[in-house]
Amino acid sequence: MVKGVNVRAIVIQGLSILMLCAFIELGAGFALESMEEYLTLLPGLIVMVPPLLGLRGTINGALASRLGTALHTGIIKPRLAMTAELKANMASSLILSFLASATIGLFSYAACILTGAETIGVLSLVAIAVIAGFTSGLILAAMTVLVAVISYTRGIDPDNITSPTMATLGDFVTVACIFLSVVLVG
Amino acid sequence: MAIYSVRRIVLESYPMLLVCALIGLLAGYMLKVNIEKIEAVPLILMMVPPINGIGGNIGSILGARLASALHMGTVEPKLRGQKVLGGNIKASVLISICVFLSIGAVFFAIAYAQGMALAGSARLMSVFISAGMMLVPIALLSTVASAFISFMKGLDPDNVVIPIVTSIIDVSGVTCLLIAIKIVGV
Repeated sequence: MVKGVNVRAIVIQGLSILMLCAFIELGAGFALESMEEYLTLLPGLIVMVPPLLGLRGTINGALASRLGTALHTGIIKPRLAMTAELKANMASSLILSFLASATIGLFSYAACILTGAETIGVLSLVAIAVIAGFTSGLILAAMTVLVAVISYTRGIDPDNITSPTMATLGDFVTVACIFLSVVLVG
Repeated sequence: MAIYSVRRIVLESYPMLLVCALIGLLAGYMLKVNIEKIEAVPLILMMVPPINGIGGNIGSILGARLASALHMGTVEPKLRGQKVLGGNIKASVLISICVFLSIGAVFFAIAYAQGMALAGSARLMSVFISAGMMLVPIALLSTVASAFISFMKGLDPDNVVIPIVTSIIDVSGVTCLLIAIKIVGV
């Protein structure tokens, strides 16, 4: 890879992905708004949605950022093989998803109790958060690795495109997983 | 020897994620407090997801690039005489201007299509663009600062920059929109 800095390549790659993401973001605003009606059906659930979405973005953003560095420095080879380094990166993202989702579930319950808002039981809330956080974490971690490795092998700098792509797709996958876990937990 | 350790990534990231979740709550709270001012002007609420998304992505791309560059040694954590840092920032500024101008134009088109007068549509467009121009320096400064400080403190910038920057942007995005509404005078 280039050791210096290629402003032209950064602008072309970054700009294309950002324009694409911005348009998806415009649509996401509409989509999430219409879904929010369903999310208010279970009391307490809506409180968790923004922090769970934020969490998803940051955990995958950090994974994407580490993979970019690892590919540039050659620590991870651009092959879809489960090496120890790749395993450590993915495993820590999943452990973080698990821990942080559980924390968000607890915080959301506490926030509802403190403000006197109606909420479902603490176990159900934490279970929904953990199942949603973990399943979306699993799906998105796999997608992050794919986007990073494939972009790198095609000569695109993964630093330019992986985290914007995952931040945008992450919102959709996470909301879908919240629905799924609501159905599972009942 | 393994370079990435699950333990290190989890220990570095978890406290950061908690801080970011709290900042995320603050962002939600600010939106809630100002919701009347925001809903008073048509289309402003619709501007929140794209402005936060674009701002966060601009910071994430620069953050991922700087983290890779710091690990490879092409950028050092100091401000003077840094060609690669300068090139990266220049590219980010160019990307930001292009994206905010284009999405601003999209908002002009949406407003005009919804039957707003030409002048009113132009004012809405300038709200979005000027809010974006206020947000860009915040995104770039917080990215460079958090990348350099975390690297100097022996933390992996890949783990901390994106969470910090996206949280800061989530809080500042709404603020910049409110300031822009005041300046443009919608």
